[in-house]
Amino acid sequence: MGQKELKVAFLLALRSLQRGSRSSVILTVLIVGMCFTNMIFLPSLFNGIGQSITKQVVDYEVGNVLVSPKTGDQYVTDLPATLDLINGMPGVERATPHFSKGATLTYRQRVLGVTVRAISPKDEELVSPLYTKIIAGSYLGQDDTGEVIIGKPVAGDPSIRQEDEFQPSLGGVRVGDSITIDYGNGYVKDYRVKGIYFTGWSQADSAVYVTMTDMALVDPKSADNADDITVKAKPGYSETFIKDELEQYGVSQKVQTTSDLLSKSLGRALQSFEIINMVSLIVSIIITTVVLFIVITIKTINSRRQIGILKAIGVDKAVIMHNYGFQVIILAILGIILGMALTLLLAVYMSVNPIVTPEWSATLYLTPMDLVTNSLILFVAALVAGYVPAYQVSREDIQTAMRA
Amino acid sequence: MIVIEDLRKIYRMGSVEVKALDGITLTIEKGEFLGITGASGSGKTTLLHMLGLLDAPTSGKIVIDGMDIALLNDYERTMFRLYKLGYVFQDYALVPDLTVMENVSIPAMLRKDRAEEQTKRDSLEILQKIGLCDRRDHLPRELSGGQQQRVSIARAMVNKPDILFADEPCANLDSENSRMVLDLFREINEEMHQTIVMVSHEDWHREYFHRIVRLRDGKIVSDGKNGKAGAVNPGSVQIPET
Repeated sequence: MGQKELKVAFLLALRSLQRGSRSSVILTVLIVGMCFTNMIFLPSLFNGIGQSITKQVVDYEVGNVLVSPKTGDQYVTDLPATLDLINGMPGVERATPHFSKGATLTYRQRVLGVTVRAISPKDEELVSPLYTKIIAGSYLGQDDTGEVIIGKPVAGDPSIRQEDEFQPSLGGVRVGDSITIDYGNGYVKDYRVKGIYFTGWSQADSAVYVTMTDMALVDPKSADNADDITVKAKPGYSETFIKDELEQYGVSQKVQTTSDLLSKSLGRALQSFEIINMVSLIVSIIITTVVLFIVITIKTINSRRQIGILKAIGVDKAVIMHNYGFQVIILAILGIILGMALTLLLAVYMSVNPIVTPEWSATLYLTPMDLVTNSLILFVAALVAGYVPAYQVSREDIQTAMRA
Repeated sequence: MIVIEDLRKIYRMGSVEVKALDGITLTIEKGEFLGITGASGSGKTTLLHMLGLLDAPTSGKIVIDGMDIALLNDYERTMFRLYKLGYVFQDYALVPDLTVMENVSIPAMLRKDRAEEQTKRDSLEILQKIGLCDRRDHLPRELSGGQQQRVSIARAMVNKPDILFADEPCANLDSENSRMVLDLFREINEEMHQTIVMVSHEDWHREYFHRIVRLRDGKIVSDGKNGKAGAVNPGSVQIPET
């Protein structure tokens, strides 16, 4: 098969698509485009959900690396020294401690059980974007006492009656209001609401934050202990590198990366996503293959006499086969381009209007590799679908074809 | 030169055997304009298809320019058709999605011994000869039947084949267009010393042929120079013209 034969095959294919049934071409390209979109949409959405959850977990729960008490211990002990050690390591942006206590909030007639999280506000700013999520009032100062920031769902909405609430709240707390926190250890204190925040991560939004300085008054243990320390890595440093480093430098606590933690908690969900993705992929490939097979089969059946004539005037059967092969290649490429355009438009639309639930907000998470891989899979499926009928018809003897 | 020896073609329809060609022996000289005539079902088209390598005989031998075509494999037969033979079909058989120029160029484009420029030059030259150069960018559906058949002839002639086969090329044309096509064949035959084998059942076409072979029931019943048909093939039966 030389260059001349390929050139003639391409010319025949191009002219057939240009001057043949336009509606058939448009319909086929649309179907391939839709199949491509279907192939890539669901996995990208699931990836988006996974990415969203991972980001929220990193931002508000565990950072890049979580240092937690070793087995048998209740707290990370010797806190100041441990923090100094971690913060001094290369690749560590900042480490920040957390100390949580269960408590009961009281505001007017409303009583609500919540988790009070103590943070070191300055350090927290370098690890978590919480300080950027303040929707009213302001963020905590480093040594604030008697002040608290609370999540929007905890603050509540005064226009919603208590019995209509989706989630129990304090019924409309505003910045400057006073709430009472009962820590359960006999320590009860009135706090001024300094700010109200909303992160979109329900566990963070259902909590209230105070400073470590304040918590030391509630529970003196927090001065030297923490429930955990979250560590933010500097750009370019991997979580594993930080973990290995912490272990090598003698941090005696339990050290886990985000991946370690997520593989346990999200492992099953991700497995389910994988299965659904695979089903979606297979269905799309089958639809594309069948559609292109039918289109090319119909084309070849309708052109049998013409194929016989071409063979009669000296056109080799390989040229005829590649003619239909090129038609499929062109249809598949146009379909894939259309599918990519649709997918990218959806991605742009969803980045502006993400799917929001109380647990996560998802956009389409697309990588160039996803686009390339799915394009190649669809392309190969299209080639098979086109070349099988083309090969069959090109082998037909001239007399049979011409009598068709 | 084409040499045909005891050519037979038998079609089997269930348990019934139909002898489409029954022992044809014939020699066609280079430069001859040969007419094959006969009633419907006499084997004209079958013989043309055998000579044109479009079908294989049940038995017998065809030698074209010294080449026994039974010895050729599928690809070699295709190349033989491309380089040595030209075809004109009853229904023009042009590719509807290609322009006149593209239809004519296709066989030339496939030749390995022709550069792109020469292909273009040859195509334009033959289109000029048939008088359709100004319609080279038109699609077949934009042409009349006569014009389409002339394009079909141009396509058959673009490679300057040794032999041109035409299967009732005027069957779908009116008298005027038929004469135009036949005049073109005569011109090609005379100017280019082109061997032409043409199937026809129109009596008035006889004036164009150098020689006429008449078939009946798969056998040659007469073979002779135009106007003096006679039994020249041993074993064939001469039947008076009706």
